[in-house]
Amino acid sequence: MKKPILMPALSDTMQTGRLTRWNKSVGDPVRTGESVAEVETDKAILDVEAFADGYLAGPLAPTDQDIPIRQTIAYIADRPEAASDATAQAQKAAPAADRAESARPQAASRPAGDARRRGPVTPIPPPEPAAEGRGHAAPMPHSPPSAAPGVGVSPYARALARDLGVDIAEAQAGPDGQVHARHVLAVALQPQGADLRLGPPYEITRPGTLRAAVARNMSATLQTPTFRISSRLPLGPLHQKTKTKKVSLTLALSRACALTVAEDPWFNHAWTPKGLAIRKRVDLGIAVDTGAGLITPVLRDAANRPLEELAEDWRILLEKVKSGRLAPEHYQGASFYLSNLGIFPEVVEFDAIVPAGASAILGVSAPGTDGNTTLTLSCDHRVIFGADAARFLQRLRKRLEDLSWLA
Amino acid sequence: MSNVLYWQALNEAMDAELAADETVFTVGEDVGLYGGTYRVTEGLLAKYGEWRVRDTPISENSFTGLGVGAALLGLRPVVEIMTINFALLAMDAIVNMAAKIPFMSGGQFPMPLTIRMPGGVARQLGAQHSQRLEAMLMGIPGLRMVVPATPQDAYWQLRQAIRSDDPIIVLEHELLYFRTGELDETAVAPPLHQARVSRPGRDLTCITYSRMVSLALETAEALAAEGIEMEVVDLRSLAPIDWKTCEQSVSRTHRCLIVEEDNECGGVGAEITATLQARSFFQLDAPIRRVAGLDLPTPFNGALEAQSIPQKKDVVQAAKELVTNATGGVS
Repeated sequence: MKKPILMPALSDTMQTGRLTRWNKSVGDPVRTGESVAEVETDKAILDVEAFADGYLAGPLAPTDQDIPIRQTIAYIADRPEAASDATAQAQKAAPAADRAESARPQAASRPAGDARRRGPVTPIPPPEPAAEGRGHAAPMPHSPPSAAPGVGVSPYARALARDLGVDIAEAQAGPDGQVHARHVLAVALQPQGADLRLGPPYEITRPGTLRAAVARNMSATLQTPTFRISSRLPLGPLHQKTKTKKVSLTLALSRACALTVAEDPWFNHAWTPKGLAIRKRVDLGIAVDTGAGLITPVLRDAANRPLEELAEDWRILLEKVKSGRLAPEHYQGASFYLSNLGIFPEVVEFDAIVPAGASAILGVSAPGTDGNTTLTLSCDHRVIFGADAARFLQRLRKRLEDLSWLA
Repeated sequence: MSNVLYWQALNEAMDAELAADETVFTVGEDVGLYGGTYRVTEGLLAKYGEWRVRDTPISENSFTGLGVGAALLGLRPVVEIMTINFALLAMDAIVNMAAKIPFMSGGQFPMPLTIRMPGGVARQLGAQHSQRLEAMLMGIPGLRMVVPATPQDAYWQLRQAIRSDDPIIVLEHELLYFRTGELDETAVAPPLHQARVSRPGRDLTCITYSRMVSLALETAEALAAEGIEMEVVDLRSLAPIDWKTCEQSVSRTHRCLIVEEDNECGGVGAEITATLQARSFFQLDAPIRRVAGLDLPTPFNGALEAQSIPQKKDVVQAAKELVTNATGGVS
């Protein structure tokens, strides 16, 4: 008896997940709740937990490929023999065709891809008649999809592609190696990219999930009517004080912002299609450069909780960033954002993009020779008006001069 | 509106037609004194007498031939064959006579003959009493065949069959006789051969008939709990088949699963698959799939017997694989 492990749906928006690695091998005993694999979602790496005690049975889904949610990625068998029986059929699992677009002449790039796709064709032994879970399957061996030359396209997908004017070669095949309607629709719905064919030779590689998520989120902010307002303020005293108090400047700046936001709740509101979202708590998102992309860990209730508590939160968040284990609840839902590029002396001024769900973001540049630093507040004009923003900077200046709040 | 057993609905239909038209009569083994093996003619002998509710010897070809002759002379016979397994003895009357005479006579002889019989796997009746021969009968030009799955359809379709001037088989099911369902004698019947969408669904179409309809509906409930919406099409008629309803459903879901109790090879599902792939080719996002009985004489052993025909888990698995494209469609 074996039961399938499915690709979990870890958020409302998750359509596919990518296995980064298997923590167990076929035949290994597993216990309920134990992690059998790691899956990379939009931004985080999460565990796939065993739902029952038993033995991990194959075929295991491949790593580093997009797998639709609810699709079987492995099995849990109740007996070790059952787990190893299943591996005999591992070849049944069709590796999804790894389709990379290339602008180079087909002759140059295709053969390698094709050879890999075809792979060594392993003959599949006919299933044993007594094997469980076979239902009414006729005793006929499956033909391994990997043996099929090229990629199949369902009739409906082909008709859709024709009607929508979609080039079927652009569609990414599903895990069964076939192009179905949903893959054609995905191509039709994706925005048209620039035509690169007349430029230098290029290859398309798939962006990492973090980069893809940032791109998606940033594109989503295009509709926001934004204005920017700048001020040159002295950060020197704050910097000095953080050194003596041994807190990070970013944390102190976050606290200053949170307190300033708390004084004018409009900076804590957000424009939504249904109306204005009024929030009572200031959750402050801080842009962090991970090397692989941008992520914004969130300090919850940053205006009211003691600074030491925030410092501890911040330390934990940074650790999670480093290990790639930041979950959506750690990086989503800030009401105000801070982006600090002050460690780059060359940056004298920049403005940041207001993320969806917030009404403003403060960009902090490097200090100039006069000891002042350019701070630029980008605001969603549906929520914040110019004078509000000016008053915000005014209050922030006072807070940077009188540091009693940091005592 | 009342809740009745399937046999009671058939009994009411027989009673209504016997009362409405004195050319209607019924013959068969044990239809009179005994009231019908599955009680369908219960009480009718007392009410209409032995000229209209007639017991016969064990002689299927003869009393079916009697029905053919009576129909030729303008009566409306309802021949009951105890089970479809015994219809094999009446094939000459059904195939060579009933199905052919209206055509060979250029329509001069009508054939208002109704043949009622149950088919299907019941409970441990053995291979010779568990056959589903609908695929064989469906392939005979000149015959019509309806397959009611509910008491309401049993009532409607039997009455419509008796009033039809063509030879028609009403194929019942041994395990349906004691199922309950609602019956509204005053409701307007849909056309005799029209299929019905018994449950709407978005993700796949399940085409089925007779006892498998309730299995499909149960499966659809289970799948819905997992977010898969299966549309269930009850064919109601196998000859002719209402292709329009099938096509329309597939054009909504783009995936098609056929569930049949009869064995797979050369079955009803094979016919539907072949025709639908031609009619709905550009609507199909995955190969049409069948869940059918195994290609073997039905085992007597109860556990093996159950394994030889579709069960809920088989339909669940096939539906899931079809929706997720987990296999290339080879069943």
